[in-house]
Amino acid sequence: MATRKLLKTCAVALSATLALSLAACGNANNNNAASGSNTGTGTASSGGNKKVTITFQNIYPDPATPSYKMLHELIAQYEQDHPNVHIELDTLNTDQQKVKLKTQAASKEVPDITIVNPAAQMKPFVDAGLLAPLNDVIDQNGLKDTYQSGLLDYYSFDGNVYALPDGNNIEVVFYNKDLFQQAGISDTPKTFEEMLQDVKTLKSKGITPIAIGEKDSWTGSFLFMNMLLRTNGGPGFLKDVVDGKKTFSDPAFIQAVDRFQDLVQAGAFPDGATSIDATAGGNIFKSGKAAMWVIGSWETGAIDASSVAGKVGAFQFPTVDGKGDPNEFMLAPGSAFAVSANSEHLQETKDFLNFFTLNLPKKQFDLKNAVGLGQKVDGDLKSAGYSDLAISIANLFNEVKGGDLAFDNTMNPATAQVHLSSIQNLFVQKVDSAQVAKEHQSAYEANK
Amino acid sequence: MKVLKVPARTIAVFVLPCLLLYIGLVFVPILVSFYTGLLRWDGITDSTFIGLDNFRNMFVNDTVFWPAVRHTLLYAVASMLEIPVCLWMAILLSRYVRKGNTLVSIYFTPVILSVVIIGQLWKTIYNPASMGGMLNGVLIAFGLDSWTHSWLTEPKIAMYSLYFVSLWQYFGYHLLIQYTGVQNIPDEIYEAAKIDGAEGFKADRYITLPLIVSIFKVSIVLAFIGSLQAFELVVVMTGGGPAHATDVISTHMYNSSFLSLKYGYGSAIAAFLVILCLICTVIINTVFNRLEKKFS
Repeated sequence: MATRKLLKTCAVALSATLALSLAACGNANNNNAASGSNTGTGTASSGGNKKVTITFQNIYPDPATPSYKMLHELIAQYEQDHPNVHIELDTLNTDQQKVKLKTQAASKEVPDITIVNPAAQMKPFVDAGLLAPLNDVIDQNGLKDTYQSGLLDYYSFDGNVYALPDGNNIEVVFYNKDLFQQAGISDTPKTFEEMLQDVKTLKSKGITPIAIGEKDSWTGSFLFMNMLLRTNGGPGFLKDVVDGKKTFSDPAFIQAVDRFQDLVQAGAFPDGATSIDATAGGNIFKSGKAAMWVIGSWETGAIDASSVAGKVGAFQFPTVDGKGDPNEFMLAPGSAFAVSANSEHLQETKDFLNFFTLNLPKKQFDLKNAVGLGQKVDGDLKSAGYSDLAISIANLFNEVKGGDLAFDNTMNPATAQVHLSSIQNLFVQKVDSAQVAKEHQSAYEANK
Repeated sequence: MKVLKVPARTIAVFVLPCLLLYIGLVFVPILVSFYTGLLRWDGITDSTFIGLDNFRNMFVNDTVFWPAVRHTLLYAVASMLEIPVCLWMAILLSRYVRKGNTLVSIYFTPVILSVVIIGQLWKTIYNPASMGGMLNGVLIAFGLDSWTHSWLTEPKIAMYSLYFVSLWQYFGYHLLIQYTGVQNIPDEIYEAAKIDGAEGFKADRYITLPLIVSIFKVSIVLAFIGSLQAFELVVVMTGGGPAHATDVISTHMYNSSFLSLKYGYGSAIAAFLVILCLICTVIINTVFNRLEKKFS
């Protein structure tokens, strides 16, 4: 009796281990992913008519967004032209997709088309030979020339392109003109000192100065990296660390941490910022409750669709202590479409992807979602009815003189996680900046 | 007692399928994850065998690990503390309330709700007053401004805020178990006790408590082991943050495996959790076996 009870309780206990895998696969829409690619293709290859099912894992779950419509319209069109091809969607939100893909990768069952992030984040997948080179895809129908020059480099390893990006964004400071006026601020800040002053002014008027949702810790890091980009006098700090030319104890890093703490101590962020997730954080701005939002240009369309539409402008992140060039931005090359190297219908999948990426820019343009696209589009934004904000952001793109990628796109995941929680910690308590630097350095050395 | 005489083969027919399924779904994965714990592996590329290095790192170098263990153990202890209260409630309910079942059902409601809903609900309650947080709002309304806190984001109290939600959620569950236990004690025993002069709380001391020890044990084990694996509530409410202040073993395992891409290391943590659960179960069982002997 006693042993049986013991076994029983153990079983309950051990399910913690299982919970791990369940949490990963148990998310919405798991019915089509893993099974879809295999069972679907199984019948396809045996059938005479060569019916083909391609599984397309994607991160456009919200039917209200232009990207969702783009995806569905293009697939409908392709299926009409190719009656033997069926595109099966596995739609997830970004975080779920990241975890799901990792579990799928562990069992070498990557969907025919999936979503990866640039540079360091996709490297393990390439190293493991899970992704198919797409050189032949971009050579077809002039697809390669539609991409902005240099963009595909973030997705290339050893001379092969392994993924095709859906966008190419920059980080800007969106601001609510009404709230600025209410606080008596006439101009956008050009230096960090001015920005800090504005933060204090806004705070004293009872307005939340900068919206953020720091429960998803990438948001704080993305903002922080702006400062590092400035204090370092330009891009490349993390690369220098990797190359062994600098360490995290470098004055540029320490200074960036100090300035960031100044911002936190001045009350720039909402109360309890670390309990708000990124979406809710954005809503603080989009509902007109915060004056600024430091985020990627991909939010332009969403801002135009929110209640603050028409009241919002955008400016470059200011210089910090006189250092840096405002026209250097945090760059956010988009998430990208990759093809499984083990796909049973590699040729058909590549053919579809060529069609899809070739038509994506035009479709996005028609759906008023062309700002921050990674590909060139013909067409005038103004006459197509884009908002002033969208046009001003599009103009900012012309000013871009380079910049840095997000921390987790440059560093290995283990170091990146230490960085993310270290920055998150700054939101809740004041920490000696030398200590922050030390934490980073030892994490980097332990996980090199 | 009557014992059915059934051939061993018949027993095997009924038991084996389930047993095999159980072994395949529970024990094999556990063994696999013990083995994975010996690898340096990101879960994607090739792995290398590194022996017990992961475990050494975990015990010696990982600054998050021991706090996570402490949070988990405190969680387990905190979750047990409400069970005596539940027993007390159950006794009162069965003695003074004529139709206690309705009340118990009401207390049981939070157990039915999904953890995600509970998490979102309490997140809103815990929010700063400026974001409509009810708890802080009530405190301010009573003029207790100095008592307000950012409940989920102050590293020192965030963990306790989570414990409380867990206690609140499972109160009805344990109350139900205790209540059923108390109800199942036959009235005749109490009547006999009454004749012997034991009434009220004296009867509880000498009749209810000894007869309910085994039920009590079930509650304790469920609460303890359940909170060792606490995961969803933490993920929904804080995600282990701010800066690991509310990390428990399972969230640390999840973060290591899937965010830091240290799958082998995460498996080592999982192995540790399995062993911890085993040890705790053995301890609880030993303690209660002694208690049962003492009372009977």
